[in-house]
Amino acid sequence: MEQLINDLKLQIKEALNLEELTVEDFDENAPLFGEDGIGLDSIDILELIVLLEKQYGIRLSNPKEGKAIFQSVKTIAEYVQANRKK
Amino acid sequence: MEGIAITGYGIVCAIGNDASSVLRSLRAKRTGIGSMRYLQSCHRELPVGEVKLSNGEMKRMLGMDDAAIISRTVLMGAIAIRQAMNHANLSIKGKRVVVISGTTVGGMDITERYFLRMQEDDTLLPLIEKHDCGSSTREMADLAGLKEAEVCAISTACSSAANAIIVGSEMLQNDEADIVIAGGTEALSRFHLSGFNSLMILDRECCRPFDKKRAGLNLGEGAAYVVLQKRLSGELFVRGYANRCDAFHQTASSENGEGAFLAMSEALQMAGLKPQNIQYINAHGTGTPNNDSSESAAIRRIFGEHIPLVSSTKGFTGHTTSASGSIETVISLLALQNDFVPASLGCQEQDDACIAPTQSVDTISLENILCNSFGFGGNDSALVISKTPAPLRVDRKYKEAEAKVLAEETITDIDQLKDYREFISAGESRRMGRLMKAATITSLKALRKAGIERPDAIITATAYGMLETSEKFLIDMLENGEDTLSPTLFMQSTHNTLSSAIAIRTKCHGYNVTYSQGTHSFAWALRDARRLIESGKVKTVLVGCHDEATPTFQDFFRRQGKPVPPTLYSKSIVLGCITS
Repeated sequence: MEQLINDLKLQIKEALNLEELTVEDFDENAPLFGEDGIGLDSIDILELIVLLEKQYGIRLSNPKEGKAIFQSVKTIAEYVQANRKK
Repeated sequence: MEGIAITGYGIVCAIGNDASSVLRSLRAKRTGIGSMRYLQSCHRELPVGEVKLSNGEMKRMLGMDDAAIISRTVLMGAIAIRQAMNHANLSIKGKRVVVISGTTVGGMDITERYFLRMQEDDTLLPLIEKHDCGSSTREMADLAGLKEAEVCAISTACSSAANAIIVGSEMLQNDEADIVIAGGTEALSRFHLSGFNSLMILDRECCRPFDKKRAGLNLGEGAAYVVLQKRLSGELFVRGYANRCDAFHQTASSENGEGAFLAMSEALQMAGLKPQNIQYINAHGTGTPNNDSSESAAIRRIFGEHIPLVSSTKGFTGHTTSASGSIETVISLLALQNDFVPASLGCQEQDDACIAPTQSVDTISLENILCNSFGFGGNDSALVISKTPAPLRVDRKYKEAEAKVLAEETITDIDQLKDYREFISAGESRRMGRLMKAATITSLKALRKAGIERPDAIITATAYGMLETSEKFLIDMLENGEDTLSPTLFMQSTHNTLSSAIAIRTKCHGYNVTYSQGTHSFAWALRDARRLIESGKVKTVLVGCHDEATPTFQDFFRRQGKPVPPTLYSKSIVLGCITS
């Protein structure tokens, strides 16, 4: 799980071009959306959906499904572990 | 007083290859959306609104050699322009003719087919000349027999064709032309379809504008043009128009539809009409949850309890993107001339967040129609077309004045982007390509120098748009398939993304148009800015000229022995008036 969380942090940082966020500072429990957390938005949800498909073979067809999954790096990791195809 | 008369029109779209067949389909409520037949995409499950003609059939209609490599966008456009000229019974000898055409991806259908091979095969290199909006527009005008005409491409995403009609009307008013042929054309391409797919706004079924269960749009294709001339009398007139910017988001509309509200209000004001004088609104109504509720909010703000008949005709044609403004203008003209209101196909269950569209009215007396076209970047345009020749009224806020350069800033080197953090936060910069950064910096510096926080209008010139991001998206699509593409890259492929970013940044809801006519783009932008200021409509305009080139792209020119386009160029000028 720890390895997966670390991989995800790197992949998210790269996909969303979060240049100034280091993996050490990237708290897996921090909310990804909203002003209190990383501050991602609806376009980022779409990028994260692409990321899940590319890296883990998980296909989400409705961005609304993404809301619950993409709360934090931790929730993404849990979802990936349960649903990954590769 | 003279008005801007529509003396002819032509149309090619999913429901017909000319105006009379389009009229028959509208009357019969027959949709043109269905399975893919001509586009070679892996997304065969997606319904599309294709024109029911192969490229070969269109070449024959135009009397061309079947072996000619030519964009479908150009073919459809040339056919629609020829129809419009015939309909107007046009004699162009000795007349100043201007063709203004909206397109977003220009000859992308050619580029996506040959791009990888062009990297090795020198004989294919001349095809790069077919890529950009400007050259495809020139080629189309030439094919339509308008070699002598002035030509200009406008690229503001899905409001492009409406803006072409607006700019054309302005040029006639300002006596810069005798005849304007204005409209738009856009063919389906894999680039376009997979881009919209990456934004997850495509409905897997036929689109359902304003329906509670609406789930997105269907892409369509087509072309339509109107012939505009100043006339004292006639049957059809452009009575009012306006373009405004929502200045909210690159791909989403604001909840209260501010940009749409401003555009519709000003178009009505210019037409000298009250909301109750409008009998029918041809809505933008794409079928995306966001557009339809935002547009409904804007319509409610203007019309209150007395909303006229409204329909979205995208259930017939699909969303024809850059061509939609003129395709829906021609559909509105057919409604006006034949006194009927087309149905809003696809809406079955009323959504409280939306206006209730009409299921069609077979006989009605129509005088004035409002036609909406909204594009990415919150580029919102509204046209009022009418049976009566009202004088075009302009809200003259300022006295006639001369436009002067108040400030100027230029970036020509990537090194000059180093201090971007003064103007752009880390959060903003992560989605910005280098050209967007350069355009933002030169714009903000020039405004600061001129002592202006927010310009009244933003006009941008770009020959190729954000080439670096578009090329990344294209290469990813060609090498890795159409499935897992980046929406962030696609968003930046529309040429007006630069102009919109600056509008969002400066909260500028004013006129926002992007010209994309090769090396003439900047001259067109300046001409528009001067016209706007000298007609007394605005006091300050931010005019930008922004272009970039990638190593691959530069190599295409170098290998042909042609001048190599610069890696980065961004110039921003603030024009302002000195009141006389």
